[in-house]
Amino acid sequence: MTQLMLVGSPNSGKSLLFNRLTGLAQKVANFPGITVDVARGRMKSLADTMLVDFPGTYSLQPISGEEAVATEIFLDTLEKDDVHGVLCLVDITRLEKSLYFTLQVIRECRRRGKSVWVLANMMDVLAQHGIEVDLEGLSRELEAPVLPISGRTGEGIDAVLSALRAATPASPQPDSGQPDALLRSEAHRLAGKYAPRGDLLVKTQNRLDAFFLHTAFGGAAFFGIMFLLFQSIFTWAAPAMDAVETGLGSLADLIVPAIGNSVARDFVSDALFSGLGAFLVFVPQIFVLTLVIGMLEDSGYMARAAVICHKPLRFFGLTGKSFIPMLSGVACAIPGIYAARSVDSPKKRLLTYMAIPLMPCSARLPVYTLLIAAFIPDTTALGGLVGLQGLAMFCTYFLGMLAGLVVTGLVSRTREDRYTDLPFVLEMPPYRLPSWIPLLRNCWNRSKQFVTKAGSIIFTVTVAIWVLGYFPNYGADLGASWLGRFGQVIEPLFAPLGLDWRYGVAIMTSFLAREVFVGTLGAMFGIEGAEENMVPLVEQIQTSGLETASGVALLFFFAIALMCVSTLAVLGREARSWTLPLKMFIAYVSIAYLGAVAIYQLGSIAGG
Amino acid sequence: MSKPLWTLAAREQGRIAGFDDALPENYRVRLMELGFHPGETVTCLQRPALGAPRAYRVANSTFSLDDEVARHIQVTSLEAITP
Repeated sequence: MTQLMLVGSPNSGKSLLFNRLTGLAQKVANFPGITVDVARGRMKSLADTMLVDFPGTYSLQPISGEEAVATEIFLDTLEKDDVHGVLCLVDITRLEKSLYFTLQVIRECRRRGKSVWVLANMMDVLAQHGIEVDLEGLSRELEAPVLPISGRTGEGIDAVLSALRAATPASPQPDSGQPDALLRSEAHRLAGKYAPRGDLLVKTQNRLDAFFLHTAFGGAAFFGIMFLLFQSIFTWAAPAMDAVETGLGSLADLIVPAIGNSVARDFVSDALFSGLGAFLVFVPQIFVLTLVIGMLEDSGYMARAAVICHKPLRFFGLTGKSFIPMLSGVACAIPGIYAARSVDSPKKRLLTYMAIPLMPCSARLPVYTLLIAAFIPDTTALGGLVGLQGLAMFCTYFLGMLAGLVVTGLVSRTREDRYTDLPFVLEMPPYRLPSWIPLLRNCWNRSKQFVTKAGSIIFTVTVAIWVLGYFPNYGADLGASWLGRFGQVIEPLFAPLGLDWRYGVAIMTSFLAREVFVGTLGAMFGIEGAEENMVPLVEQIQTSGLETASGVALLFFFAIALMCVSTLAVLGREARSWTLPLKMFIAYVSIAYLGAVAIYQLGSIAGG
Repeated sequence: MSKPLWTLAAREQGRIAGFDDALPENYRVRLMELGFHPGETVTCLQRPALGAPRAYRVANSTFSLDDEVARHIQVTSLEAITP
C-alpha cells in the first residue's frame, strides 16, 4: 500500500476533495481550520493507495506550537519510502494566499525525491465568471504539473487520477532548496502574474458582508439566526423526540409482558427501556443541532458570527473563534471541545475549554425541566406574556453562559501562563450553498457517536444503579437496598442543601451523565420510566416536603458542576493534560456545591 | 505619509508601507503569507462600530483583523473606491 498526501491552505476545499476521492465522510465546513487531525482513507479509483489528509496551513513556517507539530508530522511523513507523492490543493480564485505554501511544498518534495501535483480547485467558480487563468504558464514556472479541478462538481478528477496512474518515481534534488524569504518574493511575483483579478469574484461576497457585518443589520441577523438555532433544538426536534419515545414505549409494551422471569422482566423494563430510553430521546436533538450548525459553517456564516462576537468575547479573554465551540457546547460539551481545535491561539483555546462545560448542554435539559416543574409555579406574569417556568429556564440557561464568561474573564486577567497567544486574523470565506451529502453524513456520524460513546456509559450506570437498588431484597424496599444504605452514609454531605439521601444518590450517579439524575430519582421514588413521563415524579417531589430553596440550590448546582465523565475524558485527550480536567472538575464542583449551600441557607433564612 | 491600517475609512484604499516594530516577526511573516505584502493594495470593506474587527480585502481574499493587528500595519492612503 502506497501513501499519497493531500495538503493545502485552510479553506481550499481539501475535505470535500478527500471525501470525493475516498468516499469517506470527513467533515466539510466553510470555516478555516476545520481539518484538525490527519485523516486517512483508501482511494476509490486508485488501487492500493491510501490518501492522507493533513490540516490546512498557510505555510511550513509555523507561528504556534500546534503548527510546528503539524509541520513536523508533514515533513516526517514525506521522508517515508511508501509515500508516493503529494497533492497540493490551491484555491484558484484566491491563488495569492496559496502560492507561498505551494512553493515550500514543491521545495520539500524535490529535496526528498517525491512527486508533487498542484490541483487548481474551484475552476467551476472561475468558469461561472468567465475568467481564465494561464495554468500552463504557472505550471512551467512552478516546474510541477498544475491540474484544473472542481472538488464540488468533480470536474477534472479523472484527469488527476490518470496523471497519478501514469506517474514515474521522482529522484531527490538536494540542491534545489531556496530559503523561505526568496520563496515569499517568488510567490508574490507569481501571484501578480497569474492570480485572477477582478471584482466579479468578490462582488457577491462584499454585498452580503455589507449586510452580515453591518453594526445594526448584522447584529440583528446574528440574533435572528441564534434564535432559529435554539428553536431547532427545542421545537423542531420535538416531533422526532416524541416518535422515539412512543416507539420505545410500544416496544416495551410488546416485549416486557412476554418475559416470564420476574427479575429479568424488571431488568428489561427498568434498566433497559427506562434507562436507555431516557437518553435515546436526545438523539434527534443532537442530529438537528449538528445539521443547523453544519449549515451555518458550510455557508460561510460562522466566520461572520465569529467576527461579530469577537469584541465582546475579547473582554472575557476569549476570541471570536471561541464562539463556535461554545455554541456547539450548548448541544453537548464533547463536540464543543473538539470544535475548539479551530481556536488557533493556545492561550485562548485553553480559556475556551474552561468555558465550554459551563454552557447549558442538552443533558442538563431534563434535570432543569424536572426541577422547574417541581418548584416553580406554572403561572404567568405581565398579562400572560411571560410564563414563570419559561423565565426560570431562561435564567438557568443564562446563568451557565454567564458563569463561563466570568470564569474566563477572571482567569485571563489573573493568570500568567506558558501558553502563547495569537492575534485575531480570520479569513472570510466566500458564501456557498452547503454540501448536503457530507453534511447529512456528518450529522449521522455525530448521532451515532453520541449513542455508542455516551450510551455505553449511561447503560453501565443504569445497570449498576438498578442492581444496587434491586438487591438484596428484589426491589421490595429501596431504603433497605445496597443503594439505600450507601445513600444514608453520604446523606450528611447533602444535608446543608436541605436534601435527603435519595437526592444525594441521584447527584452522585449523575456524575457519569447529568440526565441520569432524573432516572435515578425516579427509581428512588419507585416510579418507572420517569424520564419519559416526569409528571408522577414531579408530584412525588412536591409532596415529599422538599423546600423551594433546595430546588433552586439544585438548579444552581447542575448549572455549574462539571458532572460528566465523558467530557472530562475528552478534555484530557484534547488538552493533552489530565491535570486540566481534574482541576476544572474540583473547581466547578466546589463552586457549585458552596454556591448551592449558600442559596439554600439564605433561602431558608429568608423563608423564615 | 503613512498611517495605521486600522484608521482606513470604509471603502478607502491604502498601499501597505510596512509593519511596526511592535508587531512580532512571526506575525509579520504570517501576514505576508496571507497577502499583506508591502506595496500591495488593501481596501477596508467593512468598518463596524464599537471597535469590532474590520474586514480588509487584499487581492481576491477578505480577512478580518482586529485592532491588535491592524494598528501595526502602516499604509499610505489611496483614493476611495465607489461602492
